[in-house]
Amino acid sequence: MEYIGEHLLIGEIGNLFLLIAFAFGILSTASYFIAEIKGKEDWRLLGRYSFWIHSAGVIGMVATLFIMIFNQYFEYHYVWQHSSTELPLRFIFSCFWEGIEGSFMLWMFWHVVVANILLLIIRNWESPVMAVIASVQVFLTSMLLGIYILEYKLGSNPFTVLTREHPDFVNLPIFQMPDYTSVLDGRGLNPLLQNYWMTIHPPTLFLGFSLTMIPFAYAIAGLWRKEYTAWVKPALTWTFVGIGILGIGILMGGAWAYEALSFGGFWAWDPVENASLVPWLILVGAGHLMLLQRKKGTSLFSLFLLTTLSFILIQYSSFLTKSGVLGDSSVHSFTDLGMTGQLAISLIFYIVLTAVLIFWRWKDFPKTEKEDHLWSREFWMFMGALILMISAFQIEFSTSFPVINKIFGTNLAQSAERVEYYNKWQLPLAIILSAIIAIGQFLKYKKTDPKELFKKLALSISVSLALTIATAFSFSITNPLISLFIFTSLFAVLANLDYLVRIVSGKIEHAGSSIAHIGFGLIMLGAVISTSQSDIISENTSLYDVSVLGQDFNNNENILLMKDDTLLLGEYFVCYRGKEKEGIFVRYEVDYMQSNENGELESMFTLYPFVQLNPRMGNVAEPFTQHYLDRDIYTHITYAELEEREKSEEISEHNINLGDTIFGKNTFLVLDSLNRNPRKDNRGLTENDLALGANFTLFDVQTNSHQIQPLFVIRDKQYSFSVPDSVPDVGISISFDGIDPATESFAFKLKESDPKYQEFIVMKAIIFPWINVLWVGCIIMALGTFLAVYHRIKRR
Amino acid sequence: MKKTHIVIVVLIAVLIGAMIGAINDSSSYANFEEAFENPESEFHVVGKLVKEKEMIYDPITNPDLFSFWLKDVNGVERKVLLHKSKPQDFERSEQIVLIGNANDQIFEANEILMKCPSKYTDGEVQSKESASI
Repeated sequence: MEYIGEHLLIGEIGNLFLLIAFAFGILSTASYFIAEIKGKEDWRLLGRYSFWIHSAGVIGMVATLFIMIFNQYFEYHYVWQHSSTELPLRFIFSCFWEGIEGSFMLWMFWHVVVANILLLIIRNWESPVMAVIASVQVFLTSMLLGIYILEYKLGSNPFTVLTREHPDFVNLPIFQMPDYTSVLDGRGLNPLLQNYWMTIHPPTLFLGFSLTMIPFAYAIAGLWRKEYTAWVKPALTWTFVGIGILGIGILMGGAWAYEALSFGGFWAWDPVENASLVPWLILVGAGHLMLLQRKKGTSLFSLFLLTTLSFILIQYSSFLTKSGVLGDSSVHSFTDLGMTGQLAISLIFYIVLTAVLIFWRWKDFPKTEKEDHLWSREFWMFMGALILMISAFQIEFSTSFPVINKIFGTNLAQSAERVEYYNKWQLPLAIILSAIIAIGQFLKYKKTDPKELFKKLALSISVSLALTIATAFSFSITNPLISLFIFTSLFAVLANLDYLVRIVSGKIEHAGSSIAHIGFGLIMLGAVISTSQSDIISENTSLYDVSVLGQDFNNNENILLMKDDTLLLGEYFVCYRGKEKEGIFVRYEVDYMQSNENGELESMFTLYPFVQLNPRMGNVAEPFTQHYLDRDIYTHITYAELEEREKSEEISEHNINLGDTIFGKNTFLVLDSLNRNPRKDNRGLTENDLALGANFTLFDVQTNSHQIQPLFVIRDKQYSFSVPDSVPDVGISISFDGIDPATESFAFKLKESDPKYQEFIVMKAIIFPWINVLWVGCIIMALGTFLAVYHRIKRR
Repeated sequence: MKKTHIVIVVLIAVLIGAMIGAINDSSSYANFEEAFENPESEFHVVGKLVKEKEMIYDPITNPDLFSFWLKDVNGVERKVLLHKSKPQDFERSEQIVLIGNANDQIFEANEILMKCPSKYTDGEVQSKESASI
C-alpha cells in the first residue's frame, strides 16, 4: 500500500543523527584510548573532535524527536505511543521523556552537556577521562539503535514508523486509507504524568545521574594512570554539584508523589524511589572521602569503591527501572522492551572494569600505617561514610529482591509492611549519622581534646534537649527511638548553626558545609515529625458500626461522606458539597469547617481533590492539599462513583380534593389546607404573582411527619407554573400543577426517589505536621552545597 | 586489636545482619494452595479477577472493605477480602498481586498491586474523532 502524507524524511534525518552519534562515539572512545596509551597529541585531538561530532549527533536526535512530537507526526511509533492531539502543549516535554527511548536521550543529552563543559576546563586528564565518558555514550546510543544482529534486537529506535513497529496494524481499516495520517491520533500521555512535576523532575534527576559519571571517569582514570590521589581535586567539585542536583531531583520526586500521586506521603520506599536514593547516599559518602583525601589522606580502597559505586548504582537503577524486572513490585517502572540483556551487559561491563582495575592496582596503593585517632574529624567522617554505605546496602538489598529471584531462583517478595520494615533499619542509622553531623564540624583533624569538645557542644546539646522535650510533649511522643532521632537531628541543626555563628562567623567562603549540614538536619527533622506524627483523621470516625462484621479492621483509613452530610474528622467538621465536571476533570468540593465562638460552623478552607477521566488508560485520582506553615491537610478521593447513576425516580399524578391523601411507595401525604397568601419572597416569586399554597403533612416510613407546601403560581395573569417543595431525606418532591374549578380538585405530581441513593465519596484525609521543615531543609541543603562548590571554584 | 579491625568486623556483621533481616522480614510469592496451607504467613498471590463472580463494595457499611474473587495462576478461585477501598478502575485490571494471608476459606489482603492494560501491549488504534477502529 502506498501511503501519502507520511513525513518519512524527518525519520531518516533522525536516524542519520543517531548513526553519527554512534559512529563518532566509538571513534572518540577508541581515539582517546589510543591517545592515553601512546601519549600522542593527534589521537587526543581526534578523540576530542569526534566527541564534538558525537555531541552534535545527540543534540540533532533530541531536536528531531522534539520536532516530531511538536508537529504530532503520529505515523511515528514513539509519537503515537506517548502523545495525542488532545494533549496540552505544556506537556510536550513530559511526552518526550515518558518512554524508555526518550529517557535515554535525555540522559545522553545531559552527558553531552556535562562532558562539553568538562572539556573546556579539563587539562592533562582529558584522554583517560574522556575515553570512559565516550564509552558510556556508546553504550547509551546502542540502546536506541533498534537494529537486528542475528536474532537479537539491539536497542529500541525512537524514529521507527508505526506500521513497521506494528506490522499487525496494516490490516486495520485505518491503514487501508492512503492518507491515514490525516485521521490517525496518538495514544496519549499517561494521566499520572500529566503534571508539571513531570516536566521538571526527570531532567533534574537525569542531570544528577549524569554528574555521577564525571567522578567515576576520574577515578577510573586515576587507577589507569596509577595516579591514585591527583584525580581527586578536579573530581571533587563535580561530585558536590552532583550531590546538590541529584538531591534536589530525588526530593522533587518526593514532592511530586506528595502533591500529585496517591502515595499518602512524600516517601513510600518504592523500588524506583530507592533506586535513585541509593546512588545519592553513596555519592555523599564518596564526596566526603574525597574531602578527607584532600586534607589528610584516607583509605584509597574505600575512596575508589564509593566513587565508582555511585555511577555503577546509577547504571543499576537504570537496569532496574528499564528492564521491566521490577514489574510486579513497583508502581512506576517501565514495561519491558526486550532490552534486559543489553542493559545487563552495559552494567556488567562497568562492574567488571572497575573491579578488575581496583583489585589489579590494590597492592600498588600507597599505605598509610598510622591509625586515625578516636577523637579526630577524619575518624568520624570516615564513620559517616560507612554509615551511608550500610544504609545504602540495606535499601538496595531489599529493593533487589526481584533481581535476586531471577539470579538465584529464590522466591523473595517485599512484605506488605514495607515502610515499617525500612524505617526499622534506617532509623538507627539516621540517628547515628545525624549525631556524627552534629559533632563533626567541631572535631579537629588529627586530635581533639574531648573535654574541650564537649564544652563547645554543651550549648547546642542543652538547647536541643530542651526543644526535644518540648516537641515530644506537644505531640505526646512516647517512642524512645523517635524522640532520640528528634534530638539528634535538632542537635545536628543547632550544632552546625552554632559553628556557623561562633567559628565561621561571617566568613562566607567557609559557610557552605555548615549550611548544607543544617539543611540535612532539617530534612531529617521534618521527615521524622511529618511521618511519625502524621494523623489519618479520616480513620475511626465511621458512623457505622463495623465491628459486627467480626474482623479486626486495623486499616480503616477511609471515610464515606454523603453529599451534604457533615462529619467530624480530627478537629475539623468536613462536608462534601458536590462535584463539578470540567472537561476531563471531575472536581469534588470538600469543605473543612471549625466552630467559631458562637458555636456556628465556619468554613476554614475548601479542598478540591479531583479525578482525571481517561477512558483509554484508566481514571486517576489526584489529592488536594491545604498548606499551612506548621502543617498540611491532605485529602484524597479513594473511591467515587464516576458514572451518573440512573435515578430510580417514580413520578405519579394525582387529582385530589381537600382532606384527601396521596399514597406514595413509602410515604403518604395528606392535603390539610390551602393557603391563599403564602410567603413569596423566599420562594423566588414577586409580589405581583398570584400564588396558592397546598399544605401537606407527609408521613414517612418511621411515621415522622414533615410539613410541605408546593405552590401554584399565576404570573402576569398570563401563564401558570408550580414551585415544588421537597423533603430530600425521604426522597419526595411534589409539585402543584393545576386547579379544576368544576370538581374543586387539585392536580399534583409526586416524584419519589430512593433516598438511600445519595451521592457520596470515599476519601482519606491526613494531617502532616512540620512537613515544611523538610522542604525548607531541602532548599537550605542545596544552597549550602552550591555555596561550597562556588567558593571551591573561585579559589582555583 | 586495632580500631580499623573492629570497624571492619562490625561493618561486616551489620551488613550480614541487614541481609538476614531483609530475608527474615520478607514475604514470598505463592499460589492459593500454598497460602491456604500456611494461613499464619504472609504471601504475595498473583492472579486475575474473576469477572463473572460477585464483587461487593458497600462503602456505606464499610469504606475499607471490598470483596471479590481471584483466580490464581493455577486456576484456583478464592474469595478475597481486601481491607482497603475499592481501587479505581478495578474491573480493568489485567493482573492483580495481593499481599495478605489466608483465613479459613477467605484470603485476607492488606495490599493490592494492579497492572492495568498497558498502552504498549494493547493493539488498539485511535483516530482523531476518538472512535476506535
